[in-house]
Amino acid sequence: MVYVAMVTGFILILMGLYGALTNSNILRMIVAFSVANTGVNIVLVAVGYIDGRTAPILDAAVPVAEAAVRIIDPVPQALVLTAIVIGLGVTTLMLAYAYKLYEIKGTLDIAQFSELKW
Amino acid sequence: MVNAIFILVIGLGAAFLLGFLRDKRKLAYVVTLAALVSMAWIAARWLLFFAVDGGARTEIFTAGTLPPFAINLHLGIAEAALMLLVILCGLFSAIYMQNTLMRLGRRMMSVLLVFVMSLCGIILTRDVFNLFVFFELAVIATAGLILLCEDKRTFAAGFKYLIISQIVSILLLVGIIFAYHASGSLNIDDMAAMSSGTLKGVGSLAFFLMLMAIMTEAKPFPANGWALDIYESAHPAFSALFSAAMAGAAAVYAIDKLLLIGASQWLPVVTAIGLLSFVAANLLALVQTNDRRTLGYSSVGQVGLILVVIGQRDILGEHYLYIVGGILLSHAVAKAGLYWLSGLLSQRKLTDWSALRGHPLLIFAFVSFVAMLTGLPPFPSFYAKWDLVMLLAAENRLWILALILIATLLEAGYLFRWFGYIIKREKETDKQILSLASHKLAVVLSTAVISWGLAYLWGELSAHGNLLYALPLLFALSFLLLDQLPARIKNSLSIAGMVAYFMVSYPTYDPLQLIFGAIFLLGSSVILLASYHVSGRRVGFYPSALLMFAGLTLLIVAKDAFHFFAAWEFLTIGSYFLILRGKHSEPHALSYVIFSLGGAFLILAGFALAAQGISPFPLESLAQVAKPIAPWVFLLLAIGFMTKTAVIGLHIWLPGAHAEAETDVSPMVSGILLKAGLFGLMVLLMNMGKQSLYGVELTYVMLWMGALSAFLGNLMAVFQEDAKRLLAYSSIGQMGYALFGLALMNQLGWLMALMFVINHYIYKSMLFLSIGGIAKRTGTRDMYKMGGLIALMPLSFIAVLIGIIAVSGVPPLSGFGGRWIFYNAILESEYRLPMMLIFISGPIAFLYLFRLIHTIFLGQLKDEHRQIKEAPFWILLPQMIYVVALMIFAVVPGLAMRHVDAYLSPFFEGQGLNWEGFTITSHYGYWSPVSIMIVVAVIFATLFAWLLFVNRKAQKVKQFNIVYSAERPFRPETTHFAWNFFAPYRKALGFLMQPYVTRFWETMMDLLHSIADLSRRFYTGNGQTYGIQLLAFVVIVYLFKMEF
Repeated sequence: MVYVAMVTGFILILMGLYGALTNSNILRMIVAFSVANTGVNIVLVAVGYIDGRTAPILDAAVPVAEAAVRIIDPVPQALVLTAIVIGLGVTTLMLAYAYKLYEIKGTLDIAQFSELKW
Repeated sequence: MVNAIFILVIGLGAAFLLGFLRDKRKLAYVVTLAALVSMAWIAARWLLFFAVDGGARTEIFTAGTLPPFAINLHLGIAEAALMLLVILCGLFSAIYMQNTLMRLGRRMMSVLLVFVMSLCGIILTRDVFNLFVFFELAVIATAGLILLCEDKRTFAAGFKYLIISQIVSILLLVGIIFAYHASGSLNIDDMAAMSSGTLKGVGSLAFFLMLMAIMTEAKPFPANGWALDIYESAHPAFSALFSAAMAGAAAVYAIDKLLLIGASQWLPVVTAIGLLSFVAANLLALVQTNDRRTLGYSSVGQVGLILVVIGQRDILGEHYLYIVGGILLSHAVAKAGLYWLSGLLSQRKLTDWSALRGHPLLIFAFVSFVAMLTGLPPFPSFYAKWDLVMLLAAENRLWILALILIATLLEAGYLFRWFGYIIKREKETDKQILSLASHKLAVVLSTAVISWGLAYLWGELSAHGNLLYALPLLFALSFLLLDQLPARIKNSLSIAGMVAYFMVSYPTYDPLQLIFGAIFLLGSSVILLASYHVSGRRVGFYPSALLMFAGLTLLIVAKDAFHFFAAWEFLTIGSYFLILRGKHSEPHALSYVIFSLGGAFLILAGFALAAQGISPFPLESLAQVAKPIAPWVFLLLAIGFMTKTAVIGLHIWLPGAHAEAETDVSPMVSGILLKAGLFGLMVLLMNMGKQSLYGVELTYVMLWMGALSAFLGNLMAVFQEDAKRLLAYSSIGQMGYALFGLALMNQLGWLMALMFVINHYIYKSMLFLSIGGIAKRTGTRDMYKMGGLIALMPLSFIAVLIGIIAVSGVPPLSGFGGRWIFYNAILESEYRLPMMLIFISGPIAFLYLFRLIHTIFLGQLKDEHRQIKEAPFWILLPQMIYVVALMIFAVVPGLAMRHVDAYLSPFFEGQGLNWEGFTITSHYGYWSPVSIMIVVAVIFATLFAWLLFVNRKAQKVKQFNIVYSAERPFRPETTHFAWNFFAPYRKALGFLMQPYVTRFWETMMDLLHSIADLSRRFYTGNGQTYGIQLLAFVVIVYLFKMEF
């Protein structure tokens, strides 16, 4: 189970990177990066997963005393939450940039924005 | 003391607070500044606590739990200093951007606060995931702050950065989670504690990903095209922050922290990446024309250098903080200062910076920043680089040392070229390029003050003592403050100061130092008499001249390698500024400074190799350097010193630099400055003696180089039309003689070299002054455009006449004494072939010297020169002093030389001369200057009387006009008798005069520029390409790491 998630995550990352670096349309790039980010998040969660254990929520089902042996590692899950938030922020920022870039040049082709070079 | 976490709290809190201040821009701005000031205050208090009170590092725990279950922050002296740097940089930028921030409003201010806060977080945190969060915050803030600039292109730059940061965050997150998986902790110190065992396999790869992700934020070559685009287009105040605070402080510190985990096996990777960046960025910067992009390249290079130091921390030991701090702070202050300075200009070409001319304070700031970047004394980077180079040499990491020095030379090349543009390029008067808002000016100037404060601080911390305490240096620097005074007052002050310093210090000099000291201090005072002819303020002249003299003065008293090298750098910079003052001297001053710094770096490398970590390294210890490295040390030092004496092959800077300099500067740089190289060679030879490399005796090679310099230098002088160039080439020849004498390695050879030191100073200064005076009056330096000036400028004539008699080494003047000792010296050694060359050079010298009299003073007076007056009094006065001095030195050379002879005898076995009475005796014969003088005077008087007698009935012939075949020739000079005077000789020997050497160096330069121009195309400007480059870079580094 863990491996499926892990492999899926990495495939998503590679797909995302491939998409982002081959599509010249800025919006497609942003979408591709979102895919890659999702992949990263899946990898993060997969690393913290331990077979046969339950979610790290302390309630009636999982008393505190048994938590250490019954729940999966909660840290990656906490990290994923932060990563998702940050990823959202960056994606929004990229979209805002895409909007401005379109306003300036009337195109979303990344190759058109290369006056700054050398 | 306030808990340092409040730095983050205040930053974040104020950023949120600004959200409530709608329509209250002024208040918002005040809040922003107040937040930054209080953050800076906290950081400063902690810095004082660690630095002055010797406080111990503290941990700051959060969330009421110990790590690794909660994030902890770490605060030591490095963190406090870096945070202070970051916050002050933010504060200065906020002040600088007052108008922009007021226009864009509170949102931009809060983004700025978040940016500064997140950089502090990067510095403080000890948790890798927290590091990621702060980096992402910095990225988002960066993307916001890039928009401060109205340049539309910044949008593209910002988007490229976002692409890169997406990739970085993917790498970082994957790295973090697997590092966590391998170690069970997110805490850096935890990971470090268990490092080598746990972080194998996947763990090691995870660490690599983290390292590369953070490394990308430091913008290493070649994965940094996006950063250069930002540097070029963003608001200069943000570029300052981006370079000094983000890349140059926060990112490199994060790398330093991470390396605690990776331990020593990753240090070579960091070193290699740093070196690549340092060399490549400085190479590519050579062909830049946009100022901010140039600064961007320089920034990449400097951060690369910091990475090298971090990568070398295994050998730096207790010096690590001092070295890395010196380089880091120098870069930060200088780069931020330069970016802020660039914001004062509205045009972006490097040549547009000529607008700074006429603003001495701004130029002073620029010079301070450039000197800081290139690691010149007395700035922190100088101390740091010295220590770094010493340690690298001691550990035998010579490749790193060599690459660092080469890249530094490249950097100095384009920075000084830029300085040349400021001083020399045409100012476009119709356009208003410079705008001096007072708040921006205040930021720039206080940065300059900070740079000097750091110079003082690093001097205080240095184990070698503070260079700023040297009296001659302080004297020179004090003229920066006096620069508003009239030139004549400053001139009097300088002369008084130098004479007084000589009077006070000469009792402590040994005879060798005394000769050089007298020339450097008294000799230059005599030349300075000529400077009285300049009225006005002459801004910048005195600090430069006195800096050069300070360097020279410190050079002769230097006891150890460090002080010797520092003095060498001082005199190099001072003389560069002086030479640059000439009207057409921009390219020549540049080639001078590049050759000089190149030579200086060879000297540095030589000392480092010799010292093998011993610090301080006394110059006398050169004698104890052991066999396998001794000849290499000798070679490096000798080439370094010979660059200064302009030995053939390394001479191409001299003719232009000396000929194009101002009237009173030419004698200074020729008559005085060249002697520094000879002094260095003497120190070297005295301590190291003869050395041989692969069976070749190096002094023998020097002998040949001296002979060739004498021969070719003189030959080239023969074919000059320009009188000052003629004198300049003649200096190459004269220095060749001196080098030859030294390389003979016998007492007479040395005596003769010292004789040349004195003689060359006197007659070359005299000739440069008289020719300078004539050029001033006639408005030309081409000899064929002059003629018949003997009647109009009799005193100049006398000076030139006496001068050429002295130079050519015929009786009765002291030049003959030099030759006499010289021939004796040659007879004592067995080098016949180079000796022949030297002999031939004598008559050749006569050919060109003759022209000075023949073409300038004899022949027909030109029409346009009929109203000419004698040269100005103040230019004549030193010449007349020299005439008298030459006469005295000719009659009683023993006055100075016998002491030197006695001083030299212990070094050689009793081959000295006998100085009884007025006669000087050697094994081969005797020389009686007095009788020679009398004989020559009698002959001269007789002939002169006879001439007067014969000429008493002579009739004066008026000049008349000869028209060239009834037409005016296309190039009138071709009909002049004196033009191409030695055409037959040129036909015979011209093949020797082909500018092979010049062509060689020009080809080298072209090659460098072509490589740079070709390889910078690598940065296509396409954000996707940059992304691919980054991924490829990561993969390639990993493959390399696997390989080794």
